[in-house]
Amino acid sequence: MGRFWSLLFLLVPVLGVAAFVAAPIYDHWLPEDWSAHGRQIDRLWYFILYLTGAVFVATEVVLFWFMWKYDGATNTQPAAFTHGSHNLEVVWTLIPAATLLFIAIMQMSAWEEAKMQKPHRPALARVTARQFEWRIQYPGPDGQLDTPDDLHAVNELAVPVDEEIVIDLESMDVLHSFFLPNMRVKQDAVPGSSIPVWFKPTRVGEYDIVCAELCGWGHYKMKGRLYVLSRPEYEQWLENLRIQQEATQ
Amino acid sequence: MRVAQTRNVWRGSMAATAAWAAAVCLMLTGCGQPEVEFKLNRLIVPPVSMVVQSREMQLVDQNLPSAEISEELSTLRNTYLHNEEMLNSALTAVFGTPDDPYAWPGLGLDIQKLRMAAGPTGVRGVTRGLYREHCVHCHGINGDGLGPTARFLNPYPRNFQMGVFKFTSTNQGRKPTMEDLHRTLREGIPGTAMPSFKLQSPAEIDALAEYVKYLAIRGEVQNQLMTAIEGIGDPIDEGQLAEELEVVLQLVANTWNEAEDHVVVPVQRPPFRSEQERLASIERGKQIFLNAGKANCIGCHGPTGLGDGGQVDYDVWTKLQRDQEARFPGLAQLWPLPVRPSEPRNLHQGIYRGGRRPVDLYRRIFAGIKGTPMPAQGQTLKPDEIWSVVDYVMSLPYEHEQASPAPPSVHRAGL
Repeated sequence: MGRFWSLLFLLVPVLGVAAFVAAPIYDHWLPEDWSAHGRQIDRLWYFILYLTGAVFVATEVVLFWFMWKYDGATNTQPAAFTHGSHNLEVVWTLIPAATLLFIAIMQMSAWEEAKMQKPHRPALARVTARQFEWRIQYPGPDGQLDTPDDLHAVNELAVPVDEEIVIDLESMDVLHSFFLPNMRVKQDAVPGSSIPVWFKPTRVGEYDIVCAELCGWGHYKMKGRLYVLSRPEYEQWLENLRIQQEATQ
Repeated sequence: MRVAQTRNVWRGSMAATAAWAAAVCLMLTGCGQPEVEFKLNRLIVPPVSMVVQSREMQLVDQNLPSAEISEELSTLRNTYLHNEEMLNSALTAVFGTPDDPYAWPGLGLDIQKLRMAAGPTGVRGVTRGLYREHCVHCHGINGDGLGPTARFLNPYPRNFQMGVFKFTSTNQGRKPTMEDLHRTLREGIPGTAMPSFKLQSPAEIDALAEYVKYLAIRGEVQNQLMTAIEGIGDPIDEGQLAEELEVVLQLVANTWNEAEDHVVVPVQRPPFRSEQERLASIERGKQIFLNAGKANCIGCHGPTGLGDGGQVDYDVWTKLQRDQEARFPGLAQLWPLPVRPSEPRNLHQGIYRGGRRPVDLYRRIFAGIKGTPMPAQGQTLKPDEIWSVVDYVMSLPYEHEQASPAPPSVHRAGL
């Protein structure tokens, strides 16, 4: 056997990197980004991926190298003991600390844009998560929620393209998470709170709404659809909703 | 010596590897899934021990000699077991099993749709097992509302076996139309644990609705056949059973086929010409709502529509459970859902289980809510009176906003 084990351990970084290289080819990479702010999120994500990827490969190679070099079967020298190196420890503490500080500062603008700089416009709709569906409420012509002209829908959220969309997110029962993968939006829905969520879709299309917080046995079935429509189509959508809702026969 | 030792170690590890491989194979293939079968509804067909026990208590009360009692009980036991067996095989002959449903031609069920909904999930390349994927954990494999999650829900999931559906477009005592079942599947039932299945394809919704109808018909046939068998009293023979079965099947099939002819079509009224007219209609609806001598909405929903009229009543599913539990001591332990009274709706929540369109509310008032204490008012109220009650009920969630602007509300009672 001997050095077989060190070679086996070398497979960890090799297969790890190979999985990441192969993933985009087999379409297992990030969902397409169709939001205005998504690029910033993705850039941050890639930066952290490359950084941790490089550290991962380096660490694994060192592990392999030590196993290879100090293999028990081929080494005849007795083991040597050391009390360690103070300088080395300081270095490997300071470098990660500085890196973490750098990331903390670098991500601030992305966080601010996604979670703090709410656009100055009223909410387009209220999305209420409940086990196991998304209840959607549009304010209707008067622009006020919880009035008789509200429009109600379930699992289907329509929004106009190229506009800042603000959603008031609520939960009726337990923690859920409102996840729009293609809009790079993910926000927990917390019972008792109304949490604003915003994004700006840049392409007309149908996208997924999924629950990203394990909320109960039916979590898997808690999916909805986001329709990004042109302004006139969006108006028509609301009008259809109104006609359906006011049906008297 | 050394070689032999190594060989022993090698042999030991070979055995271990083989054991692991066998375990993994077993895990991957499964140990052969047991065949799934419909079970008799124990509320309708109680276990023989309880039937005998219940009869024994009656006989003991009559002070009969013990030899006579034991003879009668043993006859009863044999008759009951025979009849139970006959009932079970008749149901299997007409309806098949959950893996392999069969639709007796006279029932008008579409076998292709049933096959999509029935069976186990995870069969590659074909759509199968939709019911077990989406419904079974609440509604149960028999459609009796006894899935594993049922006891955690309020209200309980529907027991399809009585063939009664609450939210339909049809008249009092009538079956739902297929479109009613589709609508419930698409929109879900707000205020209950029934979610919307809007994103399933229309073909899948269609298959599931057909399967619900199938389970409901099967349940009703079971109930009626059991009543017929009880009426006969003696051990039933095949000829009698076939005769009864045909009558019952035709009867149940007819009720479903007739449903479309009994849709409630509201008499339309002209749109309001002014805000005063609208407010006047709401006010009129309120007066009807409060009138205990006429529709008596107030009796259950209370003077302010909060659902606090003080009535204590039960729906038909619970009534059956209560009646049977009283008849057969011990049955309560077999039926895992504790009895709950019907709750009159709090009309201020803005939650409309059967849909929030005015036409939905009109039908709820006209035809009642089937199986529940909510009665049909189609005979007591004129169409425009019903419309006024609809206006009043729909204004209730916003009652306070008409007087003053609403405070920003974060905490609202459920949707």
